[in-house]
Amino acid sequence: MSPTRLTPQLRWWILGLLAAMALPLLNPNPYHLDVLTTALLYAILALGLNLIVGLTGLLHLGYAAFFAIGAYTYGLLSLYAGWPFWLGVIPAAAVAALFGAALGAPALRVRGDYLAIITLGFGEIVRIVFTNLDRWTGGPNGLLGIAHPQLWMPGRGVLDFGVSSTPYYYLVLITMAVIAGVCMRLSRSRVGRAWVAIRDDELAAACTGIPVLQLKLLAQGCGGAIAGIAGAIFAAKQGTITPDSFDFILSVMILAMVVLGGLGSIRGAIIGALFLGVLPEVLRGFDQYRMLIFGLCMVIIIRLRPQGLFGTTHGKQSPAPSHAKSAA
Amino acid sequence: MTSLQLFTQQLANGLTLGAIYALIALGYSMIYGVIQLINFAHGEVVMVGAYVSLTLILMLMGLGLPWWVLVIVCGLGAMGGCALLGLAMERFAYRPVRQAPRLNALITAIGLSFFFQNALMVGFGATDRQFPSVVPPVRWEIGGISVTAIQLIVWLGSAALMVGLQLLVMSTKLGKAMRATSQDLTACALLGIPVNRIIAVTFAIGSGLGAMGGLLFGLYYGTINFHDGYLIGLKAFTAAVLGGIGNIPGAMVGGLLLGLLEGLAAGYLSSQWKNVIAFLILIVMLLFKPRGLLGERVAERA
Amino acid sequence: MAGRNRESRITRRLPWALIGALWLAGCGGNTPVIKIGFAAALTGDQAPQGQSMLHGAQLAVAQANAKGNILPGYRLELLALDDQRSPTQAVAVAKKLVADRDVVVVVGHLNSSCSMPASAIYHQARLLQISPVSSNPRISRQGFDTFYRTCATDDLQGPGAALFAVHELGAKRIFILDDRTTYGAGLAEEFEKKAKALGADIVGHEGITQGDKEFTPLLTKIKSIHPDLLYFCGMFPDGALLIKQRVAVGLDAKFMGGDGLFDRTLIDLATPQAAEGVYLTTIGSDLHQMPTARQFVQDYETTYGPIGAYSGYAYEAANIALWAIKAAGSKDRAAVLAAMKTLKDYPGIFGAQNFDAKGDSLIQDIGIFTVKNGRFVFVKTATWD
Repeated sequence: MSPTRLTPQLRWWILGLLAAMALPLLNPNPYHLDVLTTALLYAILALGLNLIVGLTGLLHLGYAAFFAIGAYTYGLLSLYAGWPFWLGVIPAAAVAALFGAALGAPALRVRGDYLAIITLGFGEIVRIVFTNLDRWTGGPNGLLGIAHPQLWMPGRGVLDFGVSSTPYYYLVLITMAVIAGVCMRLSRSRVGRAWVAIRDDELAAACTGIPVLQLKLLAQGCGGAIAGIAGAIFAAKQGTITPDSFDFILSVMILAMVVLGGLGSIRGAIIGALFLGVLPEVLRGFDQYRMLIFGLCMVIIIRLRPQGLFGTTHGKQSPAPSHAKSAA
Repeated sequence: MTSLQLFTQQLANGLTLGAIYALIALGYSMIYGVIQLINFAHGEVVMVGAYVSLTLILMLMGLGLPWWVLVIVCGLGAMGGCALLGLAMERFAYRPVRQAPRLNALITAIGLSFFFQNALMVGFGATDRQFPSVVPPVRWEIGGISVTAIQLIVWLGSAALMVGLQLLVMSTKLGKAMRATSQDLTACALLGIPVNRIIAVTFAIGSGLGAMGGLLFGLYYGTINFHDGYLIGLKAFTAAVLGGIGNIPGAMVGGLLLGLLEGLAAGYLSSQWKNVIAFLILIVMLLFKPRGLLGERVAERA
Repeated sequence: MAGRNRESRITRRLPWALIGALWLAGCGGNTPVIKIGFAAALTGDQAPQGQSMLHGAQLAVAQANAKGNILPGYRLELLALDDQRSPTQAVAVAKKLVADRDVVVVVGHLNSSCSMPASAIYHQARLLQISPVSSNPRISRQGFDTFYRTCATDDLQGPGAALFAVHELGAKRIFILDDRTTYGAGLAEEFEKKAKALGADIVGHEGITQGDKEFTPLLTKIKSIHPDLLYFCGMFPDGALLIKQRVAVGLDAKFMGGDGLFDRTLIDLATPQAAEGVYLTTIGSDLHQMPTARQFVQDYETTYGPIGAYSGYAYEAANIALWAIKAAGSKDRAAVLAAMKTLKDYPGIFGAQNFDAKGDSLIQDIGIFTVKNGRFVFVKTATWD
């Protein structure tokens, strides 16, 4: 692995991060911070899905399920075992990772489209299961009274995050930065390159000795873990979680963020998420037409820029310039 | 009611739902057969068909036509409208991305699905709309089992369409071209078959059948909502996979079977887990028998 | 490579541009205005209910502005935000309202699943919240002194329905259905507890999926169990289908539901013939019957058309909010909250309104309606044992 040099690109990232961290001090509006926090949470999810869809090329339409699993895992641990957030986030990530890999395993043999449908089905099953299992998951009421994170601040005692916006903003921002860093390292490592090889040409990759199955599982496990972390943060922030927050629409939104940003691109995932995450709040006035515009945008953007904002155009992913003019 | 009567009643109920699934599944199957695309927007096309037939029925209701004429006319109108919609979708949304990676086509399909669903919501409102009861509410009791006139219409209508389709595909030149294209598109193109036109026709027919499914859906349940397309689309796709994607008789069998299984599951197991069971069937099928019950008819993308 | 750099610069700037725009949007003007926040599902499938609530609140504010006697020198404004029935959005909306210093009281939300997380935010901000129709009991049990509601809770509606069902309808074998939502499942639970305590036999309790259409297998199964009464906790679209399909299936048990059925569309969708004889409870009595509500009904119907199921509650909640502002005499959240606590025998459209320590309304009337000749007909107010 090459050492991380202070490239201009990296300099921009650090600058951006510092600016983002300074934001609450300049404009402490809790509503704005809350909107940004949600968008940044989506960015974490987009980074996770990017590993699965963007780097490895596995079509996944049920990502919200892992978000839900992470949220409920922490929620249940918090409510029934009194686990604090900083401890609970670990099993949340682990359980979600486990489910990610477990779902991935049997589905490895199927065609790409079918994987998409299987993941969609799984996503729906998870949501319905959480809705129906009253005794364990609170059913449609969901879980109430999940503990907010508490942090010991030197000289100030214990700070309970409560429902203020600023602590969560920093929590999510820093988590996102760390995960982005990890993803960047991963994508430049042998594992990451192997993933891209699988995406570009699975057969060829297998022929060069890449353990395709294991790597696909690893991708889904990592993606699941990231979603699990995001889920735990979400649960801790909201205090209340209900199954209808984790529906198919969310899975599609995250997918759209990854595709819009460009498959495989870390920058793309973050910016795509920020854009699509903040957009609904900005478009509050157009609410009735929001999803309509959203759908239309998806169709148009993928048509005009098939590789997304920051995607690369190499390998099989490059669109052929010609239309199907064959014997029309 | 004896348990045999109960069982037969559940069978009859399940078959009605199954017939509707079958009609919609055909659309999925045919389209996947020619261009390996899961047309996510097909469920919305079905709902467009339902809303269009609703509008037509409301418009023509006052003319004093016998109800069966009304139904047929509105059905044909909706089929025509959706066939055009299917053509437009294919030409402007799907054809441009046919050469692009699969994911792009899927995203396009999902985007279209959102667009149509919300267009319906904006156009027709968010609440359930009532389908006027044009079919006389006749109910027969045969051996303790009740069958309504609407159920009979659903069975007869879908049977007629499926038979018609099968004839088209098996006995006409167009049908032969469609079968050939779904086997090997490139070879067909090389042989001079106008594949783009065939694909367009496939979309038109599939959407038309879906529209009919939408009309029957509206007549049978009496209410329609812009949101119905999502779930019924997913179930119908399950049915298509169950029977073998790309396989026309397979879609029919899959539809009927899924309707039956769902009805029996709701009747004997639990209504709230019904959808989970449907999804599980889908997943299990895809994992262990992805070729479906009757085998799939799809070219392997090299 | 130049093109790539240019493009990445633009796209890199985009999020900052958006943040900047949001920031600027946050800086408000300087007009002397007092805002009453309003939050409900204004789009999506609950839109009709949310909109009818909005109209009720708008009417209250418009009337107050016309009279001009709430807080002289200030203009009253209703700031309505859409939470789309999503708890996540409800939190965002709550924060937005809290952040706006002109907002001194909030009327909202509609759904209990939204009021619940939002109430924590209002509580932390010490902002008075009056919910018109969130009926889940747990919201007021959190110990938030900022939460009030103008409706009866489901732990009243359920038992009220059970008493009526067992004592007046003579139901001995009851099958319960709920739609697996916060509201439906909660109501079903309360009903079941009371019905059992009264000695009725609960022959089955199942869930349906909201938005589902195919209930004949389920109804056929229920038919084979022969209950006297089918009790449904859910919303009218699903209720209408159940009512209609039970006739097709030949299920002749009585049908009863909760306030989720209380919408004219129910009778249209189910067909008047099928809906004949259906019973339902409402969280509050029949507005058309109450002399205290006559003026409101008249005013509302001239401006907006037929009353929605929740318009009256929103009107009441908004008026109480206005009263609190007047009693506080200033545009200060703490003062408004303190004034609210002094409310006693407020002359509202439901009669004299009082609240208990938890914030629940002491008017605990549960109305019972039936469908006769294609219309809702008021039967009585539920009697308690």
